[in-house]
Amino acid sequence: MSALFTWTSLLPVLIILSSLIPGLLIFATPEHARTRRTLLNMTGIAIKLILVALMLAGVSQGLTFRFEIPFLPSAPLVLHGDALSLQFIALSSILWLATTIYAIGYLEGSPLRSRFFGYFSLCVSATVGLALAGNLVTFLLFYELLTLSTFPLVVHRGTPAALKAGRVYLAYTLGGGTLLMMGVALLHSLVTTPDFTAGGYVLAQIEDSSLGLQIAFILMIAGLGVKAALVPLHSWLPQAMVAPAPVSALLHAVAVVKAGAFGIIRVVYDVYGVEASALLALTQPLLWLAAVTMIYASIRALQQQDIKRRLAFSTVSQVSYITLGVALAGPIAAVGAIVHLVHQGLMKVTLFFCAGNFAETLGIHKVQEMDGLGQRMPWTMAAFSVGALGMIGVPPVAGFISKIYLGMGALEVGQPWVVLLLAGSALLNAAYFLPLLYRGWFGKPPADGWQQDNFKNHRFETHWMLLMPALFTALLSLLVGIFAGSILSPLGWSEFIVSREFAQ
Amino acid sequence: MTYALVSLSIPLLSALALMLAGARLSNRNAGIMAIVTSLLSLGAAWFCLLDVAAANQSILLNLGGWENGLAIRLRLSPLSSLLLLFTAFMHVLIGIYAGFSRRGVSRDFWTLSSLLHGSLAALWLSADLFNLYITLELLGLTAVAMVALAGKKAYKPAANYLILSLVASLFYLLGVALVYGRYGSLDVVLLGLQTQSDTTTRIALLVMTAGLMLKAALWPLHLWLPAAHANAPTAVSALLSGLVVKGPIFILWLLWSEVAPVDLAQQIGPVLAVAGMIALVAGGLSAMRSPYLKTLVAYSTVAQLGYAMMALGLLMAWQLPQMHVALWLFVIAHGLAKATLFLAAGEMQTTLGTKRVSGLRGATQTVPVAMFAFAVAGGSLIGLPPSGGFLAKWVLLEPMLSSPQNWPWAFGVLLGTLVSAAYIFRVVAISFDRARINPPDVRPDRLGHWLALLPALMVWGMALIGEWLIEFLSGGGV
Repeated sequence: MSALFTWTSLLPVLIILSSLIPGLLIFATPEHARTRRTLLNMTGIAIKLILVALMLAGVSQGLTFRFEIPFLPSAPLVLHGDALSLQFIALSSILWLATTIYAIGYLEGSPLRSRFFGYFSLCVSATVGLALAGNLVTFLLFYELLTLSTFPLVVHRGTPAALKAGRVYLAYTLGGGTLLMMGVALLHSLVTTPDFTAGGYVLAQIEDSSLGLQIAFILMIAGLGVKAALVPLHSWLPQAMVAPAPVSALLHAVAVVKAGAFGIIRVVYDVYGVEASALLALTQPLLWLAAVTMIYASIRALQQQDIKRRLAFSTVSQVSYITLGVALAGPIAAVGAIVHLVHQGLMKVTLFFCAGNFAETLGIHKVQEMDGLGQRMPWTMAAFSVGALGMIGVPPVAGFISKIYLGMGALEVGQPWVVLLLAGSALLNAAYFLPLLYRGWFGKPPADGWQQDNFKNHRFETHWMLLMPALFTALLSLLVGIFAGSILSPLGWSEFIVSREFAQ
Repeated sequence: MTYALVSLSIPLLSALALMLAGARLSNRNAGIMAIVTSLLSLGAAWFCLLDVAAANQSILLNLGGWENGLAIRLRLSPLSSLLLLFTAFMHVLIGIYAGFSRRGVSRDFWTLSSLLHGSLAALWLSADLFNLYITLELLGLTAVAMVALAGKKAYKPAANYLILSLVASLFYLLGVALVYGRYGSLDVVLLGLQTQSDTTTRIALLVMTAGLMLKAALWPLHLWLPAAHANAPTAVSALLSGLVVKGPIFILWLLWSEVAPVDLAQQIGPVLAVAGMIALVAGGLSAMRSPYLKTLVAYSTVAQLGYAMMALGLLMAWQLPQMHVALWLFVIAHGLAKATLFLAAGEMQTTLGTKRVSGLRGATQTVPVAMFAFAVAGGSLIGLPPSGGFLAKWVLLEPMLSSPQNWPWAFGVLLGTLVSAAYIFRVVAISFDRARINPPDVRPDRLGHWLALLPALMVWGMALIGEWLIEFLSGGGV
């Protein structure tokens, strides 16, 4: 009993509850009680940030945070806050703050906000639970809950197009979830389900059941690859763009695609371990898959004329950097992969906030309509530029750091072709982002005025709740790049994680 | 054992009293009486469960003190205590729904539901093939009468159900006669020690199996079920799908896990398992195409019973004790989830004034609680973690995955999961349609909607006692 009630074991539960309880209360909040809803949201976020800070301090002091209740035979439900989960939790908590503020501004006056914010909080809870999951069965549980809580957000508008996208989304993610479940169950029948361990736990079984282990790996990666949008399992992502902008931001930067990428990191590092993955000949195919995704999605992005769709394909390409870093199976590449989890999140959320601002303020959805945007909305355009340049990998924005580490990691493990791949991808990124920046800053605004012009009488160029989050995340993407050398930066923390993973 | 007898006799006495009282008792009072007796029976079942858990083995009782072979023998196993509890709980829940939600039921409902409760309790406790026949017959007739409660439109499905039910009972009785002629005994425990796989035994077992499969609506003998379950009153549909079809499955399981000789069970097992796999997919596809909501839910029963059949078939083929656990976890998880699905479907139909699935456009706004209940219970049918459906599937999957030659069965489960997801989310996706909302005819009945949600939450709550349940059921299926 005593183990249940120490603060170190309860903290992971509290971190989940800090968004779950406000979420449930928000469902019960009447539509017009705007202040109460905002208050609930903000209280939840504040509590979560404090708890996460507490856990960060604890983990860097070497404390362990572990909570366990029985569930299945030899597969309990375990919540475990380690350094890697904190990387993900810190990201999602901070972006939850930004996205909630953005969403309050974005949805002002629209119907069904209680439902929206309720599911929004559930979605964050599922993401955080997934990050804290201490074994595969717990991970699976939150992975499915994430699907269920994001579906209502994707179809929030309730239009035929939204429903269509929602069906596609469900078909992919539930299919993926089923594959993952099969993989987890298969692995459980081979080696049971212990906690995630740095260096993995399958090495002892490799002689006896290599085929089973390989199939379980393929099933799990296929299941995770759906959410991580690995080609050819990525088609749901561009379609899901019909969702409201804050949802797109959340899906792309934090919740869904990152859940997939994070799962891949867990499976390769903490379940199979780098050594066993290499022995089973699993990392090289994963590397190719990531490489194909990276290039293919960039080419597709180049063809898109809709800003959000272009960003969506860019997400597909960028998230595969994480998989690439994992598949390289070396410590430096691992740092690149884990740090990119955060960096891509910050940059991509900025881009989506800005795209949403263009659409909400001036009704701009297409690339061609972006001419002269910088004159009407300089701040948003500046934030957009920071994000775009970061994606290309221009120093000192965050993306540069990730790419450098991935490149060095590739050289370290003797796969120099990956450096060429990264360079090619950077060129493609430049090819699909720079025209947007050029049009925005140097194009001429339409002579007959903007097709619609909201928020004209506001103090800022757009509603302050839409502008501030974008500026905040843009600033963060700059800061984490500039101060990458500090131990408190995502890079410093990633190195801390990797030093543990590759300790053996 | 005393508690089990109490739990069994209370509803029977209540049925008798209600029958004798007739019109002298108002509908409302009859309802209160039925609910209170179910509650008492529930309490007794709870103590009975504690007893068995403490004893950790089956308790046998010869009624009237006769010797083995002569006496009617009752047996209280951990499983039957759990089923007693489950049956009583469902009756309390559905009784409250029928009595207090806006959709009233006629007075006959109360008599019949008490009778149904009693006959099910007797079935779970019987360990004698003839005794089982009687409970089965009683169960079938009560169920038919309950379907007919819906009025004229239900007469035809009820009549079909009656005829098939009688035919099925005859098949079963024929088998019983053959067994008695061959072995001179009908006691399940005694028979288990004697049976040999000769021709008479084979024929007897196959005939009984056919009869029971027809009664339980196991594929390919399921065609009567959708019409009967979809046309019955809402409360009755929930009882039929949640409980009644599980009765014949219990007997089928007794026959093949205890009475039948092992070599015969090993031959027939794979056939049943394949039928289960087909049921899973075929039933699911029918559910996916069904234009009517209640028919969809009824076909999903056909599909879900496929899981139970698979578990039973593989239990017979592999003789693995985990499969007992999988089978009964499926039965309980399905019972709870199906109660929610039918109650929610009935409530949504009344509120929105449509029987069609397409009429649910905008249901997440107009009937949020019922729709949420539907989705949550659906999640358990799909087998999403950590619901009861997931627990059952996990236990079923483990032995399938442990050796490569069994992997094709796991593929069946995979397919079943995907099909279930397809028909559940077909409904859920339509309910999010905000562009063309189907406005409600009447204000939603709050109590009915929240009651519909309760079993759905319970089936997900099974996660909390998951490990205990698995241990309890594997501690002694029999």
